Amino acid sequence: MSKKSISVNQATLVYFILVVLTLLAWLVTKTNISGVHVSMVILLVSLLKGHLVGDYFMGLNRVNSFWRWAIVVWLLIPGVLIGYAFLI
Amino acid sequence: MNEKRYPPGDLAIWIFILAELLVFAIFFASYAFTRASHVELFNIHQLQLDTDIALVNTLALITSSYFVVRAVKAISVGKRSECVKWLLGAIFMGLIFLVVKSVEYAHHYSNGINLRTNLFYMFYFSLTFFHYMHVIMGVVILSVVTYKGYSGGYSAAEHTGIETGASYWHMVDLVWLILFPLVYVMR
Repeated sequence: MSKKSISVNQATLVYFILVVLTLLAWLVTKTNISGVHVSMVILLVSLLKGHLVGDYFMGLNRVNSFWRWAIVVWLLIPGVLIGYAFLI
Repeated sequence: MNEKRYPPGDLAIWIFILAELLVFAIFFASYAFTRASHVELFNIHQLQLDTDIALVNTLALITSSYFVVRAVKAISVGKRSECVKWLLGAIFMGLIFLVVKSVEYAHHYSNGINLRTNLFYMFYFSLTFFHYMHVIMGVVILSVVTYKGYSGGYSAAEHTGIETGASYWHMVDLVWLILFPLVYVMR
Protein backbone atom coordinates (compact mmCIF):
# COMPACT_ATOMS: atom_id res chain seq x y z
CA MET A 1 0.00 0.00 0.00
CA SER A 2 1.39 3.38 -0.93
CA LYS A 3 0.88 6.27 1.44
CA LYS A 4 1.24 9.54 -0.44
CA SER A 5 1.19 12.99 1.08
CA ILE A 6 -2.30 14.45 1.24
CA SER A 7 -3.68 16.37 -1.70
CA VAL A 8 -4.79 20.00 -1.58
CA ASN A 9 -8.40 18.82 -1.84
CA GLN A 10 -7.99 16.51 1.17
CA ALA A 11 -6.37 19.30 3.21
CA THR A 12 -9.18 21.68 2.26
CA LEU A 13 -11.81 19.12 3.23
CA VAL A 14 -10.12 18.56 6.61
CA TYR A 15 -9.95 22.35 7.08
CA PHE A 16 -13.71 22.71 6.53
CA ILE A 17 -14.43 19.77 8.86
CA LEU A 18 -12.33 21.47 11.56
CA VAL A 19 -14.18 24.77 11.03
CA VAL A 20 -17.62 23.12 11.20
CA LEU A 21 -16.75 21.14 14.36
CA THR A 22 -15.38 24.32 15.96
CA LEU A 23 -18.57 26.22 15.12
CA LEU A 24 -20.66 23.42 16.65
CA ALA A 25 -18.66 23.59 19.90
CA TRP A 26 -19.06 27.37 19.96
CA LEU A 27 -22.82 27.06 19.35
CA VAL A 28 -23.06 24.94 22.51
CA THR A 29 -21.83 27.95 24.50
CA LYS A 30 -24.68 30.01 23.05
CA THR A 31 -27.34 27.67 24.38
CA ASN A 32 -28.32 26.44 27.82
CA ILE A 33 -27.03 23.01 26.90
CA SER A 34 -24.42 21.91 29.42
CA GLY A 35 -23.56 19.04 31.69
CA VAL A 36 -21.22 16.10 31.84
CA HIS A 37 -22.61 14.28 28.80
CA VAL A 38 -22.40 17.36 26.60
CA SER A 39 -18.86 17.96 27.84
CA MET A 40 -17.92 14.38 26.95
CA VAL A 41 -19.22 14.81 23.40
CA ILE A 42 -17.31 18.09 23.05
CA LEU A 43 -14.18 16.42 24.39
CA LEU A 44 -14.47 13.52 21.94
CA VAL A 45 -15.02 15.91 19.03
CA SER A 46 -11.97 17.91 20.13
CA LEU A 47 -9.83 14.76 20.25
CA LEU A 48 -11.04 13.90 16.75
CA LYS A 49 -10.06 17.39 15.58
CA GLY A 50 -6.61 16.90 17.13
CA HIS A 51 -6.28 13.57 15.34
CA LEU A 52 -7.19 15.20 12.01
CA VAL A 53 -4.53 17.89 12.56
CA GLY A 54 -1.95 15.23 13.43
CA ASP A 55 -2.73 12.95 10.52
CA TYR A 56 -3.48 15.42 7.73
CA PHE A 57 -1.85 18.74 8.64
CA MET A 58 1.25 17.38 10.36
CA GLY A 59 1.44 14.60 7.77
CA LEU A 60 1.68 11.78 10.31
CA ASN A 61 -0.64 9.45 8.38
CA ARG A 62 2.30 8.55 6.15
CA VAL A 63 5.14 8.11 8.64
CA ASN A 64 6.43 5.41 10.93
CA SER A 65 3.77 4.42 13.40
CA PHE A 66 5.77 5.55 16.48
CA TRP A 67 5.40 9.21 15.59
CA ARG A 68 1.80 8.84 14.58
CA TRP A 69 0.94 6.97 17.76
CA ALA A 70 2.84 9.45 19.90
CA ILE A 71 0.28 12.10 18.93
CA VAL A 72 -2.63 9.66 19.32
CA VAL A 73 -1.39 8.74 22.80
CA TRP A 74 -0.92 12.42 23.61
CA LEU A 75 -4.55 13.00 22.69
CA LEU A 76 -5.85 9.92 24.50
CA ILE A 77 -4.05 10.21 27.86
CA PRO A 78 -5.10 13.80 28.67
CA GLY A 79 -8.44 13.03 27.01
CA VAL A 80 -9.08 10.12 29.38
CA LEU A 81 -7.85 12.10 32.39
CA ILE A 82 -10.01 15.12 31.51
CA GLY A 83 -13.00 12.86 30.90
CA TYR A 84 -12.47 11.08 34.22
CA ALA A 85 -12.09 14.39 36.08
CA PHE A 86 -15.37 15.65 34.63
CA LEU A 87 -17.18 12.40 35.53
CA ILE A 88 -16.06 12.13 39.19
CA MET B 1 4.55 -0.08 2.11
CA ASN B 2 5.81 3.40 1.23
CA GLU B 3 5.84 4.59 4.84
CA LYS B 4 8.34 7.26 5.85
CA ARG B 5 10.50 6.57 8.86
CA TYR B 6 10.48 10.07 10.28
CA PRO B 7 7.88 12.84 10.35
CA PRO B 8 8.24 15.94 8.14
CA GLY B 9 10.94 18.42 9.17
CA ASP B 10 13.94 18.14 11.41
CA LEU B 11 13.78 15.25 13.87
CA ALA B 12 14.95 17.56 16.70
CA ILE B 13 11.77 19.66 16.40
CA TRP B 14 9.69 16.51 16.93
CA ILE B 15 11.51 15.69 20.16
CA PHE B 16 10.89 19.29 21.21
CA ILE B 17 7.21 19.00 20.15
CA LEU B 18 6.72 15.83 22.22
CA ALA B 19 8.30 17.52 25.26
CA GLU B 20 6.04 20.56 24.82
CA LEU B 21 2.96 18.39 24.39
CA LEU B 22 3.80 16.54 27.60
CA VAL B 23 3.89 19.83 29.53
CA PHE B 24 0.54 20.89 28.08
CA ALA B 25 -0.95 17.46 28.89
CA ILE B 26 0.06 17.90 32.55
CA PHE B 27 -1.47 21.40 32.49
CA PHE B 28 -4.74 20.08 31.03
CA ALA B 29 -5.02 17.23 33.55
CA SER B 30 -4.19 19.62 36.43
CA TYR B 31 -6.94 21.99 35.28
CA ALA B 32 -9.48 19.17 35.01
CA PHE B 33 -8.72 17.61 38.40
CA THR B 34 -8.59 20.97 40.18
CA ARG B 35 -11.93 21.84 38.58
CA ALA B 36 -13.38 18.58 39.91
CA SER B 37 -12.91 19.94 43.44
CA HIS B 38 -14.26 23.41 42.60
CA VAL B 39 -16.92 22.79 39.95
CA GLU B 40 -19.18 25.70 40.90
CA LEU B 41 -16.32 28.23 41.02
CA PHE B 42 -14.99 27.12 37.63
CA ASN B 43 -18.44 27.11 36.00
CA ILE B 44 -19.35 30.59 37.27
CA HIS B 45 -16.12 32.20 36.08
CA GLN B 46 -15.97 30.24 32.84
CA LEU B 47 -19.30 31.84 31.91
CA GLN B 48 -17.60 35.27 32.18
CA LEU B 49 -15.20 34.42 29.34
CA ASP B 50 -15.97 35.72 25.87
CA THR B 51 -16.53 32.64 23.69
CA ASP B 52 -16.94 34.80 20.56
CA ILE B 53 -13.34 35.97 20.95
CA ALA B 54 -12.26 32.37 21.56
CA LEU B 55 -14.07 31.31 18.38
CA VAL B 56 -12.28 33.99 16.33
CA ASN B 57 -8.95 32.84 17.74
CA THR B 58 -9.70 29.17 17.10
CA LEU B 59 -10.66 29.88 13.50
CA ALA B 60 -7.55 32.05 13.10
CA LEU B 61 -5.27 29.22 14.22
CA ILE B 62 -7.03 26.53 12.16
CA THR B 63 -6.90 28.78 9.09
CA SER B 64 -3.27 29.57 9.75
CA SER B 65 -2.45 25.86 10.01
CA TYR B 66 -4.24 25.24 6.72
CA PHE B 67 -2.25 28.03 5.06
CA VAL B 68 0.95 26.38 6.29
CA VAL B 69 -0.16 23.07 4.76
CA ARG B 70 -0.68 24.91 1.45
CA ALA B 71 2.77 26.53 1.77
CA VAL B 72 4.42 23.13 2.19
CA LYS B 73 2.45 21.76 -0.76
CA ALA B 74 3.51 24.75 -2.90
CA ILE B 75 7.25 24.47 -2.17
CA SER B 76 7.16 20.69 -2.66
CA VAL B 77 6.32 21.35 -6.33
CA GLY B 78 8.75 24.24 -6.63
CA LYS B 79 6.23 27.11 -6.41
CA ARG B 80 8.38 29.38 -4.27
CA SER B 81 6.42 32.65 -4.56
CA GLU B 82 3.14 30.83 -3.89
CA CYS B 83 4.70 29.22 -0.83
CA VAL B 84 5.78 32.63 0.49
CA LYS B 85 2.26 34.01 -0.01
CA TRP B 86 0.71 31.15 1.97
CA LEU B 87 3.29 31.63 4.72
CA LEU B 88 2.55 35.35 4.90
CA GLY B 89 -1.15 34.48 5.21
CA ALA B 90 -0.33 32.07 8.05
CA ILE B 91 1.72 34.74 9.85
CA PHE B 92 -1.13 37.23 9.42
CA MET B 93 -3.60 34.79 11.00
CA GLY B 94 -1.12 34.17 13.84
CA LEU B 95 -0.89 37.92 14.42
CA ILE B 96 -4.69 38.14 14.50
CA PHE B 97 -4.64 35.53 17.28
CA LEU B 98 -2.04 37.51 19.24
CA VAL B 99 -3.87 40.84 18.85
CA VAL B 100 -7.26 39.36 19.81
CA LYS B 101 -5.78 37.52 22.79
CA SER B 102 -3.94 40.67 23.92
CA VAL B 103 -7.21 42.63 23.78
CA GLU B 104 -8.85 39.88 25.85
CA TYR B 105 -6.05 40.05 28.45
CA ALA B 106 -6.28 43.86 28.54
CA HIS B 107 -10.04 43.60 29.10
CA HIS B 108 -9.51 41.22 32.03
CA TYR B 109 -6.83 43.38 33.63
CA SER B 110 -8.95 46.55 33.24
CA ASN B 111 -11.68 44.72 35.16
CA GLY B 112 -9.22 43.85 37.93
CA ILE B 113 -9.01 40.20 36.96
CA ASN B 114 -5.59 38.61 37.15
CA LEU B 115 -3.73 35.45 38.16
CA ARG B 116 -4.56 35.95 41.84
CA THR B 117 -8.30 36.55 41.38
CA ASN B 118 -9.18 32.92 42.00
CA LEU B 119 -8.21 29.35 41.12
CA PHE B 120 -10.05 29.39 37.80
CA TYR B 121 -8.30 32.53 36.58
CA MET B 122 -4.97 31.23 37.85
CA PHE B 123 -5.36 28.29 35.46
CA TYR B 124 -6.93 30.41 32.72
CA PHE B 125 -4.03 32.90 32.63
CA SER B 126 -1.31 30.28 33.12
CA LEU B 127 -2.60 27.95 30.41
CA THR B 128 -3.53 30.56 27.82
CA PHE B 129 -0.43 32.70 28.38
CA PHE B 130 1.85 29.66 28.10
CA HIS B 131 0.15 28.91 24.79
CA TYR B 132 0.32 32.62 23.81
CA MET B 133 4.10 32.49 24.21
CA HIS B 134 4.18 29.49 21.88
CA VAL B 135 2.17 31.42 19.29
CA ILE B 136 4.73 34.26 19.48
CA MET B 137 7.53 31.73 19.02
CA GLY B 138 5.63 30.16 16.10
CA VAL B 139 5.15 33.51 14.38
CA VAL B 140 8.88 34.23 14.75
CA ILE B 141 9.77 30.80 13.30
CA LEU B 142 7.34 31.25 10.39
CA SER B 143 8.76 34.75 9.73
CA VAL B 144 12.32 33.41 9.56
CA VAL B 145 11.21 30.56 7.29
CA THR B 146 9.28 33.00 5.07
CA TYR B 147 12.29 35.29 4.72
CA LYS B 148 14.50 32.35 3.79
CA GLY B 149 11.87 31.13 1.34
CA TYR B 150 11.64 34.61 -0.20
CA SER B 151 15.42 34.68 -0.51
CA GLY B 152 15.42 31.44 -2.45
CA GLY B 153 16.65 29.27 0.40
CA TYR B 154 14.19 26.46 -0.31
CA SER B 155 13.38 24.35 -3.32
CA ALA B 156 11.19 21.41 -4.27
CA ALA B 157 14.10 19.09 -3.46
CA GLU B 158 15.15 20.70 -0.16
CA HIS B 159 12.60 22.40 2.09
CA THR B 160 13.20 20.76 5.46
CA GLY B 161 13.20 24.18 7.14
CA ILE B 162 9.65 24.92 6.02
CA GLU B 163 8.49 21.48 7.15
CA THR B 164 10.17 22.03 10.53
CA GLY B 165 8.45 25.39 11.03
CA ALA B 166 5.17 23.90 9.82
CA SER B 167 5.36 21.03 12.33
CA TYR B 168 5.90 23.46 15.21
CA TRP B 169 3.02 25.64 14.04
CA HIS B 170 0.65 22.67 13.77
CA MET B 171 1.59 21.73 17.34
CA VAL B 172 0.52 25.22 18.48
CA ASP B 173 -2.80 24.69 16.68
CA LEU B 174 -3.20 21.17 18.08
CA VAL B 175 -2.79 22.38 21.68
CA TRP B 176 -5.35 25.15 21.19
CA LEU B 177 -7.88 22.66 19.81
CA ILE B 178 -7.90 20.98 23.25
CA LEU B 179 -7.42 24.15 25.28
CA PHE B 180 -10.38 25.97 23.69
CA PRO B 181 -13.10 23.46 24.66
CA LEU B 182 -11.52 22.68 28.03
CA VAL B 183 -11.32 26.28 29.26
CA TYR B 184 -14.14 27.96 27.33
CA VAL B 185 -16.78 25.34 26.57
CA MET B 186 -16.85 22.26 28.83
CA ARG B 187 -18.82 22.73 32.03
